[in-house]
Amino acid sequence: MALLELRGVSKSFRKGDETITPLDNINLDIEAGEFVSLMGPSGTGKSTLLNLVSGIDQPDAGTIKVAGTEVTGLSRSKLADWRAENLGYIFQTHNLIPVLTAYENVELPTLLLKLTSTQRRQRVELALQAVGLSDRADHYPRQLSGGQEQRVGIARAIVAHPKVVVADEPTGSLDTETSEQVQDLLQRLNRELDITMLMVTHDSDAAGIASRQLILDRGKFLDGDAADGMVAMGSVKEQSAIKKYG
Amino acid sequence: MFKYLFKTLWRHRTRTLLTVTGSAVAMFVFCFVGSVQEGLHRLTTGTDADRSLIVFQENRFCPTSSRLPEDYARKIREVRGVRDVMPIQVWTNNCRASLDIVVFNGADPNQIQKTRPITLMSGNWQQFMKQRDAAIVGRNVAQRRGLKTGDQFSIGEISVKVAGVFSSTIPSEENLIYTSLAFLQYTRGLDAAGLVTQHEVLLTDDADADQVATAIDASLRAGSVATKTRRKGAFQASTLSDLVDLIGFAHWLGYACVGLVLSLVATTTVMSVQDRIKEYAVLQTIGVRPLHAMRLVLAESTILCLIGGIGGTLLATGALALGGFAIGAEGATIAFRPSYGLLTTGTAVSLLVGIVAGIAPAIQAATVPIVDALQEA
Repeated sequence: MALLELRGVSKSFRKGDETITPLDNINLDIEAGEFVSLMGPSGTGKSTLLNLVSGIDQPDAGTIKVAGTEVTGLSRSKLADWRAENLGYIFQTHNLIPVLTAYENVELPTLLLKLTSTQRRQRVELALQAVGLSDRADHYPRQLSGGQEQRVGIARAIVAHPKVVVADEPTGSLDTETSEQVQDLLQRLNRELDITMLMVTHDSDAAGIASRQLILDRGKFLDGDAADGMVAMGSVKEQSAIKKYG
Repeated sequence: MFKYLFKTLWRHRTRTLLTVTGSAVAMFVFCFVGSVQEGLHRLTTGTDADRSLIVFQENRFCPTSSRLPEDYARKIREVRGVRDVMPIQVWTNNCRASLDIVVFNGADPNQIQKTRPITLMSGNWQQFMKQRDAAIVGRNVAQRRGLKTGDQFSIGEISVKVAGVFSSTIPSEENLIYTSLAFLQYTRGLDAAGLVTQHEVLLTDDADADQVATAIDASLRAGSVATKTRRKGAFQASTLSDLVDLIGFAHWLGYACVGLVLSLVATTTVMSVQDRIKEYAVLQTIGVRPLHAMRLVLAESTILCLIGGIGGTLLATGALALGGFAIGAEGATIAFRPSYGLLTTGTAVSLLVGIVAGIAPAIQAATVPIVDALQEA
């Protein structure tokens, strides 16, 4: 059985008189330990899919199962508990809590688990070590570079030993060099810690680190040939730009 | 998570400080108003107010307009239900409502020692009983006027030597200065030899106060001056009737202070939550329950309110303890004293207001649409 199962998932929004359907009857299986990237033009529902998998948004139809738990049927409180134990979320804009140090930011998810203070400390130290920021533990977000902030965000996402980590354009706000460092880090975490990852990205280079690449367009996953064609024409970001200005 | 809470409050320390200060000022006023209410309540209820009577000249409007023969005491003692009678000459520096009223009560020093619930904090009874111009001063007056044992205190035509400072279980008593009856009767300008302002009547345990009052007035009807006898509490409430109305109205001021704290803390908490709505979305994304987010906001508003409220309450009780404040008219006074009741009420009101002020923003934080909030810049 796949770790992540989406069956017939649809989601629509009303925008004025128009109905937008970013996800239309989507089916997807992701195996444990897989690293899946999700690309597609802007507004095609990549982030929506990520939000549904995370349980911070609800589909209009269909079911989502993660490690056997159907997250679509859970209450808001139960979803929070489920996320605390099973899901790590890496944001594009880091979203660190500004009043807390790097250590305290990483510690936050562990405060929601039943751990002793020693276990908690060990996990936080290991997570910071894994992202190479042990020496920045006492720094506040404002004292960190963008790349370092993102690495703290990654440490926060993995510290609770989640079953799945979702990343919403984790390199989207970083320069090329820092972006490559973060990509390496994500790849290493997937390989060495066997963390299942679902990453949304606009960048075909970033998508290239994943073991499987999916392309979402007009609410559907593109089949192999179409997807190959789209990637062959350049990055999806470029495709979007071409569409926009073409 | 409380580390997050305290760090957030510290991060916005100007806002926190302003809110705490505002709450403190409002609770200071609330406690002051409360102490006035308590003072009035103590004055008009309790054993002293209900189990003793005041005999005074009918239609009196100020101590100077009540001039009863001292000899009435003998006739009053004969009335059934009367345990003791203490003739008292009253002198006050101001018959109108005042915050700095000085009231002298002249009575037999032995009777004062025997019947009044007072304890000398300094000085001694012997000097008070021996020396004609000696006076014992209530703690409130001493604090307000900066008097201590051995001082000479003069006001108007009266000049006394302070033989001691006393405290009393009845706070209004601490606004009085006791002298001997003869001293006050023979003070230049009073012209009160053989006369007193009022007779204070102590009742036996089984006496019905109203019946005894009626009997006293009936027994003195044939005398040279018509009298009116009332329970001490009722007498004081009637004497202070204008103030009683004002004090009754002042409780609205207390409620207004509570409303002020409520709106202040609620505004600050709403602003704080709105500023950090994305943080609450992030917290819920990493697994913080909505109820937990709600508790964080409630804790924030309660902490703000408690720090300010308890600070204001402590300041108020400190000021009340040290200031010796009182308000009075026509020789009757209301003491503003601190009390455990005020401390408890101040703390409880702060706690309650803190929780109530946080409810709306707490709901806002708990029900934040996570996806929309995460997309906020």
